[in-house]
Order: sequence, then C-alpha cells, then structure tokens
Amino acid sequence: MSYFPWLTILVVLPIFAGSLIFFLPHKGNKVVRWYTISICLLEFLLMTYAFCYHFQLEDPLIQLKEDYKWIDVFDFHWRLGIDGLSLGSILLTGFITTLATLAAWPITRNSRLFYFLMLAMYSGQIGLFSSRDLLLFFIMWELELIPVYLLLSMWGGKRRLYSATKFILYTAGGSIFFLIGVLGMGLYGSNEPGLDLERLINQSYPATLEILLYFGFLIAYAVKLPIIPLHTWLPDTHGEAHYSTCMLLAGILLKMGAYGLIRINMELLPHAHYLFSPWLVIIGAIQIIYAASTSLGQRNFKKRIAYSSVSHMGFIIIGIGSITNIGLNGAILQILSHGFIGATLFFLAGTASDRMRLVYLEELGGISIPMPKIFTMFSSFSMASLALPGMSGFVAELVVFFGLITSPKFLLMPKTLITFVMAIGMILTPIYLLSMLRQMFYGYKLFNVPNANFVDSGPRELFILICIFLPVIGIGIYPDFVLSLSVDRVEALLSNYYPK
Amino acid sequence: MEHTYQYAWVIPLLPLPVIMSMGFGLILIPTATKNLRRIWAFPSVLLLSIAMVFSVQLSIQQINGSSIYQYLWSWTVNNDFSLEFGYLIDPLTSIMLILITTVGILVLIYSDGYMSHDEGYLRFFVYISFFNTSMLGLVTSSNLIQIYFFWELVGMCSYLLIGFWFTRPIAASACQKAFVTNRVGDFGLLLGILGFFWITGSLEFRDLFKIANNWIPNNGVNSLLTTLCAFLLFLGAVAKSAQFPLHVWLPDAMEGPTPISALIQAATMVAAGIFLLARLLPLFISLPLIMSFISLVGTITLFLGATLALAQRDIKRSLAYSTMSQLGYMMLALGIGSYQAALFHLITHAYSKALLFLGSGSVIHSMEPLVGYSPDKSQNMVLMGGLRKYIPITRTTFLWGTLSLCGIPPLACFWSKDEILSNSWLYSPFFGIIASFTAGLTAFYMFRIYLLTFDGYLRVHFQNYSSTKESSLYSISLWGKRIPKGVNRDFVLSTTKSGVSFFSQNIPKIQGNTRNRIGSFTTSFGAKNTFAYPHETGNTMLFPLLILLLFTLFIGFIGISFDNGGIGNGIAELTILSKWLTPSINFTQESSNSFVNSYEFITNAISSVTLAIFGLFIAYIFYGSAYSFFQNLDLINSFYKGNPKKEFLDQVKKNIYSWSYNRGYIDIFYTRVFTLGIRGLTELTEFFDKGVIYGITNGVGLPSFCIGEEIKYVGGGRISSYLFFFLCYVSLFLFFFLS
Repeated sequence: MSYFPWLTILVVLPIFAGSLIFFLPHKGNKVVRWYTISICLLEFLLMTYAFCYHFQLEDPLIQLKEDYKWIDVFDFHWRLGIDGLSLGSILLTGFITTLATLAAWPITRNSRLFYFLMLAMYSGQIGLFSSRDLLLFFIMWELELIPVYLLLSMWGGKRRLYSATKFILYTAGGSIFFLIGVLGMGLYGSNEPGLDLERLINQSYPATLEILLYFGFLIAYAVKLPIIPLHTWLPDTHGEAHYSTCMLLAGILLKMGAYGLIRINMELLPHAHYLFSPWLVIIGAIQIIYAASTSLGQRNFKKRIAYSSVSHMGFIIIGIGSITNIGLNGAILQILSHGFIGATLFFLAGTASDRMRLVYLEELGGISIPMPKIFTMFSSFSMASLALPGMSGFVAELVVFFGLITSPKFLLMPKTLITFVMAIGMILTPIYLLSMLRQMFYGYKLFNVPNANFVDSGPRELFILICIFLPVIGIGIYPDFVLSLSVDRVEALLSNYYPK
Repeated sequence: MEHTYQYAWVIPLLPLPVIMSMGFGLILIPTATKNLRRIWAFPSVLLLSIAMVFSVQLSIQQINGSSIYQYLWSWTVNNDFSLEFGYLIDPLTSIMLILITTVGILVLIYSDGYMSHDEGYLRFFVYISFFNTSMLGLVTSSNLIQIYFFWELVGMCSYLLIGFWFTRPIAASACQKAFVTNRVGDFGLLLGILGFFWITGSLEFRDLFKIANNWIPNNGVNSLLTTLCAFLLFLGAVAKSAQFPLHVWLPDAMEGPTPISALIQAATMVAAGIFLLARLLPLFISLPLIMSFISLVGTITLFLGATLALAQRDIKRSLAYSTMSQLGYMMLALGIGSYQAALFHLITHAYSKALLFLGSGSVIHSMEPLVGYSPDKSQNMVLMGGLRKYIPITRTTFLWGTLSLCGIPPLACFWSKDEILSNSWLYSPFFGIIASFTAGLTAFYMFRIYLLTFDGYLRVHFQNYSSTKESSLYSISLWGKRIPKGVNRDFVLSTTKSGVSFFSQNIPKIQGNTRNRIGSFTTSFGAKNTFAYPHETGNTMLFPLLILLLFTLFIGFIGISFDNGGIGNGIAELTILSKWLTPSINFTQESSNSFVNSYEFITNAISSVTLAIFGLFIAYIFYGSAYSFFQNLDLINSFYKGNPKKEFLDQVKKNIYSWSYNRGYIDIFYTRVFTLGIRGLTELTEFFDKGVIYGITNGVGLPSFCIGEEIKYVGGGRISSYLFFFLCYVSLFLFFFLS
C-alpha cells in the first residue's frame, strides 16, 4: 500500500485552489467559473481514482489512514480515514458540488468570493466525512457553517439576512452541545485526552454520562438533519438561498447530520442509542407526517420542497433508529438518494422561479407550455421524490420499511403502528408534490409578468438534470451498486448491538 | 420448446428501446424527433406485436405445460435479505399477456389515427408504450415486490396519460385524483406486502402459496394479523380496480384521450387489481372472512356502478361506470371462489369494453368538428343522436359491443356473465338477486347509451346547447324525454338557450380547419353549419374496431362448456379456458363447482337473457327514436294515466336521476370529508409550525434582542448614566437599609 496522502490532498485541494482564485487575472467571470469547475472536476476525478484503486470494498476497517500530529498539548491529530459509510457520502459530495458549481453559472455578482466559498465548503464537507478525530470532526463541522452563512447572506433572496441569522444561530446553538459532547468524551476516563475515534469505540461510559453525551450530540445533529422541532431554519434558509447553495444544503449539508448520527452516536455510544432508538423511530414517524402536512400548506414552492426534505429525513431517522442491518442500509441509501433528488428539486425550483420571478403557487400556472423540458424534469424528479419504483427514493424507503419490520427490538403493536404512520406519509407525499406540479405547470393561465423570461432550460441545465437523473434511475434499478459500499461496514457496526 | 420460456423475460422489456429513444429524443432533440412523427409509431406497434407473438406461443405451450418460474437477478442487501427479480409464467400470466398485447396493439393503431393531429403525438406514444410495458411487467412478476414495483409504474403512467392534455384544469385535477386514490390503494398493498413478509418471511408467490396451503389443513390461520394483511392487500386491488370506496378516480379518468380510456379500462389498469386478486387467490382462499368481504365489495360495486351509469350525459363516463359495474362482477366471482368465471369475464369484458371505448372515441372524433373540442360537448350524448346514418361502421361495431355487454347470447360477455350469475346464485341468493338485477340494469344503461348516440336524429342542429350544470330541466328531459309537469321540450331548450354559458356565449362561427388544439376551451361551433354532418373516421381507427368486433364475437367460445351429458363421468367440461387454467385450478384446490349440466345452464341462460332483454326493452321505451317514441308515448300515457302514483313515480325517478348524476354523492362526500379534513390537518400543522415552533424561537430571539439593545444602551459608556444608576441604587439601598 502506498502511503500517498490521498485524503489530505482531497481535503486541502479545493480550499487551497480556491484561495488562488483571488490571484487570478481580472478578466471577467468566465475565468473564475472555468477555473472553479475544473478544480471541482479534478477533485472529483481524483477522488474516484483514489477510491477505485486504493480502497478495498470488502474490508470493513478504516482505510487510507493518515495520522499527523498537529497540536501536541491535547493530543490533537490530523487523522483521516474512510470506510464504507463515508465513501458514499464523499462521492456524493464530489458529484453534487461539481454540479452545483455548474448550476451557479449565472452568478456574476462578486463571483470570486462566491466560488471561493463553494470550494471552501467542498473542503469542509470532505474533511468532515473523512475525519477520524473527534475534534477534527467538530472543526470541520464548524468550518462548514461560515461559507453557508456568507453564501446565504450575500447571494440570497429578500429576507436573506433573517434566514442567515436564523441558520447561524440554530447551527451554532447546536454546535455548543456538540462541543460539550466532544470535550466530555475526550476528557473522560483516562488521564490524557483522547480524541481518536478508533480508541473511543472501545471506551465505555457510565449510563447517565452516556445518555447525556448522546443527547448533546443528538441536539447538534437534530439541528442539522433536521429533526422536528428544530427544523424551522431549513424552510427559511432554502426559501432564500440561491439554488446552487440550496443544492449543497439539501444535497450534502443535511446529510452531515445523518452521518454524524451514525458515526458518533451509533458507533461510539451504542448503549444510549439502544435506549434512544424507539424515540428516534417515533420522532421520525411523526416527522414524516408532520412535515408532509405542513408542506401541503406552504404557498411558496421552495418552502414546500424544503418541507418535503424534512419529511424525507424522517426515513433516515427511522432507518437509524431501527438498529437493523437492513434499516441502516436503507438510511444510508436514503442519504444518497435524497442527496440527488432533493438537490435537483431545489435546482429546478430555483431555475423555474428565476424565470418567472414568482414563488407563490397560486400566482403560477400553465408554465408547461413555454417550458416543456423543465416540466418534464420537474415531473420526473417529483415522481422520484414520491418514491416511484425504479428510482432511488423507492428503494431507500422500501428498505427502511423492511428494516423496521424485521427489527427485533420493537414489539409487534408499536411496529405495526409506526409502519402505518409511515405509510400514511406515502399518501401525503404525492398530494403535496402533485398539487404543486398541478399548480405550477398544468392549466393554461396566462399571467402578465413584465419582462418575464420564459426560456426553456438550456443545455447546461439539461446536462445537470440528466447527470443527476442517471444515478437516480441507476440506484433505483440496481441498488446493489451503492449498497455494496456500505454493507460490510454496517454489519460490523451493528455487531456491537447484538452480540452473537 | 423450452427455450421460449427462457426468453420470456424479454416480453416486458421489448417495447423499452422505442420508449427510451423516443423519450430522450423528445428531450434532447425535440424538433428532429417530432419531424419523424408517425415513423415512430411503427416500431412501437411492431415491438408490441413481437411481444404478442411471444405470448401466444407461450400460452400454446402453457395449455399442455405447467407453470414455470425463473429467477433472474436480485438486489441483495445482505445475507439475510434480498429482493429477487424473476418471472413467473403460468396460465393466468399468459392469458393476461395475450390480453394486454392484443388490446395494446389495437389501441396503438387506433391512437395513431385518433391523435394524429395532436401536438403531443409522440409523447402519447411514449406514455402508452410505457403503460403497456409496465403492465406486462406486472403480470409476469414472480414476487410481491415486483408486483408493487410495476403496480406503481402503472399508476404513474395512468397519471401521465389522464393528465395528457395538461392545459385542461379538469384533466389536471383528474390525474391528481387518480394518482392519489391509487396511492391509497398502494398504501394498503405495501402494508399488506410488509405484513405478509413479516408473517411468512418470503415474498415469492410460490413460497407464499405453499405456506397458505399449509394453513388450510390447520383450519386456516384466523389470526387477526393475517386477516388484516390480506385486507390491506385487497385494498390495493380495490383502488386499482375501482371498487366501491375508491372508485372515484375512474370516471374522472375519462379526461384523458379516448384510447387511454380504452386501455385503462379494458386491459391494463383496472385489470391489474383483478389480476392481483386472482394471483393471490390461493392465499385468500384460506381466509373465508376476506373472501366474503371481497364478494360483498364486488356486489356493492356492481350495483352502485350500474345505478351511477344510469343518467350520465357524458358517453365516456357512462362507459366508465359500466366498467366499474363489470369489475364488480369479477370481484364478486373471485370472492365466491369461481376463479375461472372471473378470468373469463375479464377477458370477454376487456374486448367488449375496448370495442365500446374505441367506438365511443370514433363517435367523439366524428362529433368534434361539429360541436367543438371541449369534452363537455363532444362527449355529450345530448348532442348526439342519429349517428347511425353518418357513421355506419362505428355504429355496427358499437351495437355489437353493447349487445355483448348486455349479455345477449352468442356474444362474448354472455357466456362469462352467465357463469358468474349462476355461481353467485349457488353461493348466496342475496348476491344472486343483486347480480341478476344489475344484469338487467346493465342492459338498460348500455342500450340507453346506444340509443342516445345512434338512434333518433342528430340533435346538434336543433339546439344551441350550453353546458350549464344548472339546467336540471334539461337533464330531466334527457332522463326520460318525457318531460313531466307539462314542460315541453321547446321550453326546456329555450331556458337553456337563455342560460348562462360557461363557455363563450358568442354565436359560433364556422371553423373550417379544425385541428385539435390542446386545451381549446373557447370552442365555438355549431348551429349555423347545418350542412356539416359527422363523418366516419379513418381506416386506422376502424381497423381496430373491426378486429375487436371479431374478438367480441368469438372470444366467448373459449369458455363455453360443451356439455357431454351423462357420458363423461366428471369430465364434463372441455372448455379451452378451463383446460388452459387447469394447472392453476388444481393449484387453488378449487372444487369443480362450475360443473353445470345443460338443463341448469339453459334455465340460467334464459333467465339472464330475459332480464337483459327486459332492460333493453325499457331502455327502448325511454330513449327510443323519435318515431317509436311517439308511438310509445300513448302506451306509456295510458299506462300511467289514472295512476295515482304517477307523481310518486316521477319523484322516485328524479331522485334516482339526481343520485346517479351526482355520482351517488360519494365524490361530494369525499371532498367534504377527506379533502377538507386534510386541509384542516394542514392548517393545524401549519399553525403549529408557525405559531408554536416559530413562536418559540422568535420568542426567544426577540427578548434577547431587546435585552441586548438594553444592555447596549446601558453599557453605552456614558459616565453620566453610570453615575445616575449608581446613585439610584445607592439611594434604594440606603432607603431599604435604613427603614
């Protein structure tokens, strides 16, 4: 095995290359755009190459490990490494970020800063998914916030400052608990602080402490994921952000919460997770219904999609809470699947609303005639989002269902009840998605929007859409493709729960 | 010959390449693709024909062979859990395959003519081919998940097709309604599948049946859970096959283009529910409670559908309700365990109904240039009449289809319906009475449709019809032509003439070039052009009609029992269908209760035919052509004259009419309860979200903002204010301390 520091390069490259943007000649936006896209693409290709040739899928252990001492005083290391859990997320990050950069093409105002922030986010996300040190994880978690805050407050819609403030307050508030958890975990027990995730797995805590720690982490993830009732930043943020930012937010940022929940809460605190999991499942089921019915009441279609993401996150929570092999795999699949579908829906909504300059559903109507391609793609992705078979959402939800059904932890009655509730969500989802489609596209309403730019999506947008559509179909038809990444790792993870 | 089996998986995949190339072509290079237009129709028909040849060959082998199963590939989640994809070819599948492919091909050919001027011609072909594909996939599925997979795809295709003319708001809401209603069924189906997976640990049909067979000796598994799961599975079939509580989508689905209506109602979508039940019958048979529930739902549906079909004005809606009623028959047959009769009726009904629907499409097509392209006008039977003069071929085929559906002897539906009727009498007199009565009703409403459409004189030229819903007088005149309370026809017409028009009120102009424009709502045409008459439709549309006519005439013979009298001891039946179905009948352990000797057969047949003819006769009295109408008027008047109950009868009739016309008030009820209920829930959660959750965060945010401002003000660095506070507190302290 070569000791080439793949992961360090992957983490550092975007932010480093991004800071070079400021030294580029002032020759308009074109240079910056092409530069950023080529960096993103290069990163994505590097990533794919590294994972293809230096990663063994069968091995459930951490691979591509790197460990450099950073701050000696409290044993802080630059520890990186990936396994089956993080692999999918990292690839998703690369994919979505590249496409989001492409989607951000029309941005001209202060484009240098914009693209730098995009690349900084790229680094932060990959760093998060590949860090093997608790403090590093935390730092990456926080590093992520700053670019999002700036992107939101500078390139957002009318109420951007309100939503940016809300976002930062929520997430920073969650981070406090995170930090407490990190310190509590690091300082507990041994006389010298230990933040290595490898070592922490084997550590055991008193029950109360474990529950407290679990709860602290859970709050941080509940903000990010989001779990009700900490979700209100999300509709505001998604309603205001530029659609490329939305793609990143919906595609990747939300998934960080789920990833953290698996990586830290499940892996490090198994007993507490075992205790908490019924509550997670219940909250997940409530969330599916709650967010779906709230979504139905939204007039702003971006907010409607935002609530639909909240609703879909419920499946991830249930999958994680079910503590079964199948359920957890389903959750991971849902992470990926929603990463594709949610991001694209926001992209579509953004492009559509940019053309019409309208966001309220009752003002819209009949735009399918001038924009048939957007109509087609919007319908396709709505179908994907409502879990149509043959697309990735269906497989993920189905697998979560099976995970819950086969879970030995729950009794028959609660299980039946929760399955029922989840399935009611299945009825509500098409109602809000299809009525959104109907209000936006169907009909023949001719509205008088001054200088509305009713152009159908061009090749760039179509390219983005088709790029995402293919994996959605691919996963939907042959999910093994993605499941094979995580299966072994999940099995290893769950062996802590049910010792045989 | 085994090698044919090996390639059976190809059948559902055959039409895919065309669909994909057309779809991608439409998205990526729309102009180039659209220029090719009709060239694309050819490969889709061709590939479906290949699929048909395949399936015919399969079923020929099936008659002598046994069911086969093959596993193709799987999704493996881990060692414990994997979803396998495969195919199962048994007689049921092969029947369905032939049905779908034949009807599918004919509908494709037909829609080439029907849609030829539509802008979405290619889109239509993409959808319809995909519809066929998913239906073929559905019937070849070998496990429940696979069924669910295609089940949903079928639902999606129907959504797309019903909303095909997406500029029409009615179509938009109709397709949403169809999808959501079907999703309610899917909800049940999914839960049922999960439940059975939990109970039995398998999703494969073979395993399920084996387990179910083990239940039967153990006196059935009457556990609540199993019954519940079976009930949930049944819910899926209820939604797809438009059975009683969830039938509301079917009439609305008529907003789609007519070929779709034919396809949905004849061979694909509604048949899926019946197919599912037929497939799972071995499972259900061990649960007697569910079986009786199925037959009850079937009975309710068949009766309800027939009553609702009585007074519809829209030709396609009437046919849709009639489909619902016929599906009720199939459900009933399945519920009482006569598997073969249900399938037989499925086949015969599919061909007859496809014929009727395509015929109605042809009628609509020929009416459209006259009355305009709004479905409110071109499908309105009020405006038709006397069409037999203008479109004789359509009329002939339509008449045969009507007669078949009414159950007139040599035609297809007679044989199957008769079998169901006699079986239902055997099972329970209650079901028997309702089923037989409904057979009479069927004849009545079918003949009503026929007479209103083809008989009499063309009513377009005699009136300026405006489609106001309020014209109740008008509708009464439609209901009976005899206008009660002395209101004569002219008066009715004059009231409607002065009525508020939903559409443009301007006096229509002749519109020479009548291209089918999408969503042309301001259709205006009509009365002035007295020389315009409906024309017979083109050959591409007539050809499928004629082929279907052949099917309707002769398909009944596959199920006729050639009675051997007393010669054969026990082997009385030599029907092709039963021979075909033998393996699965053995499998379901159905006792050969369909043994009917000739005497019983004839008595049953006579009674049902009598009922049908009675219905025909009544319809003829009510709706017969103008000449006979006047002749009969005296008869009826003399019949009613001096009858003190005349007013009462009128009242009853009006009630029945409004019940039927308002769709039994079921839709209104659903709107009131479910739609408003969901809206209420939405408002509640929204209020909660906005009020409570936002309220808390903003409630925390606002005071902290105020406090911050306060502190900012206080800590502003002004010495004077510091001194002021200092002195204040010192004085307060002193005050309290000293006193």
